[in-house]
Amino acid sequence: MTDHDVPLDFGDPADLDTLRRELRAWLAEHPLPRRRHGEPMAEFLHRWHRQLHSGGWVGLDVPERYGGRGLTALHQVAVSDELGACRAPGVPRIGYLAHALLEFCSEEQRARLLPRMLSGDDVWCQGFSEPGAGSDLAGMSTYARRSADGGHYLVNGQKLWTSYAQYSDYCLLLARTDRAAPAHSSITAFALPLNRAGVTVRPLRAANGDDEFCELFLDDVRVAVDERVGAEGDGWPLAMTTVNYERNALDTGHLSKYGLLLERLRRQLREHRGALPDGLVSAVGRCVVDYQVLVAHARRRTAERLAGRAAGPESSVDKLLMTRAEQRLYETALAVLPEELHRDGGAVYGEYLYSRAASVYGGTSQIQRNIIAKRLLHLSSAS
Amino acid sequence: MEAEEFRLVREALRAFAADHRCDAAEVGQAERTTAQKALDGLGLGELRRSTPPLASAQECALLAEEYGRQPLATSFLGTVLLAPEVLRLLAAAGRHAPYGSRPTVALTRDLRFTGRDSEADHVAWDAEGAESALWIGDDGTVRALDLGGPAPTTDLLRVVREAHPGTPDSVLGRLDPEQLHAWRAWALVMVSSELVGAAASFVEQSTAYARDRSQYGRPIGSFQAVQHLLADATVAVEACASATRYAAWCLDHADPDTALAAARVAKAEVDVSAVEAVYAGMQVFGGIAQTWEHMAHLYLRRVRVGATVLTGTVDLLTALALPEPGPQVVEAP
Repeated sequence: MTDHDVPLDFGDPADLDTLRRELRAWLAEHPLPRRRHGEPMAEFLHRWHRQLHSGGWVGLDVPERYGGRGLTALHQVAVSDELGACRAPGVPRIGYLAHALLEFCSEEQRARLLPRMLSGDDVWCQGFSEPGAGSDLAGMSTYARRSADGGHYLVNGQKLWTSYAQYSDYCLLLARTDRAAPAHSSITAFALPLNRAGVTVRPLRAANGDDEFCELFLDDVRVAVDERVGAEGDGWPLAMTTVNYERNALDTGHLSKYGLLLERLRRQLREHRGALPDGLVSAVGRCVVDYQVLVAHARRRTAERLAGRAAGPESSVDKLLMTRAEQRLYETALAVLPEELHRDGGAVYGEYLYSRAASVYGGTSQIQRNIIAKRLLHLSSAS
Repeated sequence: MEAEEFRLVREALRAFAADHRCDAAEVGQAERTTAQKALDGLGLGELRRSTPPLASAQECALLAEEYGRQPLATSFLGTVLLAPEVLRLLAAAGRHAPYGSRPTVALTRDLRFTGRDSEADHVAWDAEGAESALWIGDDGTVRALDLGGPAPTTDLLRVVREAHPGTPDSVLGRLDPEQLHAWRAWALVMVSSELVGAAASFVEQSTAYARDRSQYGRPIGSFQAVQHLLADATVAVEACASATRYAAWCLDHADPDTALAAARVAKAEVDVSAVEAVYAGMQVFGGIAQTWEHMAHLYLRRVRVGATVLTGTVDLLTALALPEPGPQVVEAP
């Protein structure tokens, strides 16, 4: 224990309770949307996003002048938690992108981009990985060449795993702006409108049949200087900020999804206890522990951030805990709900397949362990 | 407590632990008595004497973490945190006359919460310096048990003694159901906190060793296999710390049922992850950690027994998977 480990403020229970009651009352008046037959998941979630925003329930911890509520991340946790308890879809997965824009955009860009991101008027995706730059993200080769007069960039390259690019209006794009400089200081970020000439989006079909992942082809795409986010060379720190937040279950809206499934498993146990093997009670209990530890962990991180500790390499711990909770939960779900094991195309089986990606996306579990070893434990690497 | 005051209390406890940490499993009685006197001299017994108490549960839990970091042969949990809290709750409800003896807590022979039968086989747990042991029934009845001779335990630094009903039977009072929940949650959190401290400290020590120890001409901590072992141990410790610290906050701010659920989560996490973390640390130390002289087995013994103290992991998992509907019957927490 370090001297940083002081009693933390996990929020005023009365204040958070008021917020939860407000949300519950609002949900009672604004019934949850139903997914239409054949409606792509992304479109359904987008409708939900706009509905939530109309009630003021998106971006609680974003300042009011950028379209948020100006509250704290603890309020955001309470909303995430309550949505799960009310069996609603989770919060839109924009928290980590919003944090990156807040930190790196100019004032003009923040005012122009953030309110439309929060309202769902603009849908965003993230163009980081490439076919040749996965775990070794800094090895990317997409190149943004500055024009001779300095007025714009011409971008060429290919991005991979840009989730929901086919439904998106903007891409937070990383590209190299200097081929000679070291990787970590030569990457620059751009807010690229996806309707720009030279951009081609091609969805990939994932193992669960969804078309979440996309390829993005960039051929002589012209990007204005004022579409650059931060200065040239700020791309790497921006990427690290983004992934640090992305690795927190809270900022990706996963918590409410887990809570929802756990409630279903507990119900199944209560109703069919005699028919299920005894070991499954302990297995579900272990999933409850994983989930509640994750909630406690997200609250602790949030409380630490409010106490002035910024998101940093310890987010790799968050990501590994999230992976542990998600993979064990879906594994257990298939045991407790055996009919789902044979229902390809069913929601649970689809989510189960997707849970296998948890140890890959946002940095593999092996990369997270490398980060913990080097940055938190200060173990030197082999030369 | 003010932040500065808490800092001073923690520093005093840290200094005590540095002075009295055990380097070996054999600790003479004179040494134990001296150490216990030094610990008592810090006046930590005052932290939870009054209502409202001087220190919050969150502060006490952080002190228990600090205490757990070093191998110590004194009693902090039993005689400073667990038993006095029973007396404070009784006094707060006006159900208890002043009690002159210095108690620790009574547990069943397999170190679980007492509850059903006060005549059954009991031990006084963490009994260094204790004069009696408090037995707490499922209906909240609190009895003082007399102490007997030493009882066997594999946590060599922790004193456990036989305990049996006194004559005449000594009933000190009765906790109401809410208080009983609150106390059991308190006990689960404080025991978990000590184990978090032990696991965290041991992983830090093994990490330091990995930086120093060289094989094949370079520090073993530069090998990815060792790095990933320690990274996983770090994640395990962080999971324990998050669950336990949040549960401690719940003791201060949430209703007793919520606090008890959070405490069960914390203990269930610690039961598994603190032990795994110590296993990983021992693996990094290699052969030296397998010797009697090395402190590794003191940590292992503490967390391994700790993982069974108060309630079994399977009981915790069952209670969490199948929560009792409505007002809970007080059963195994």
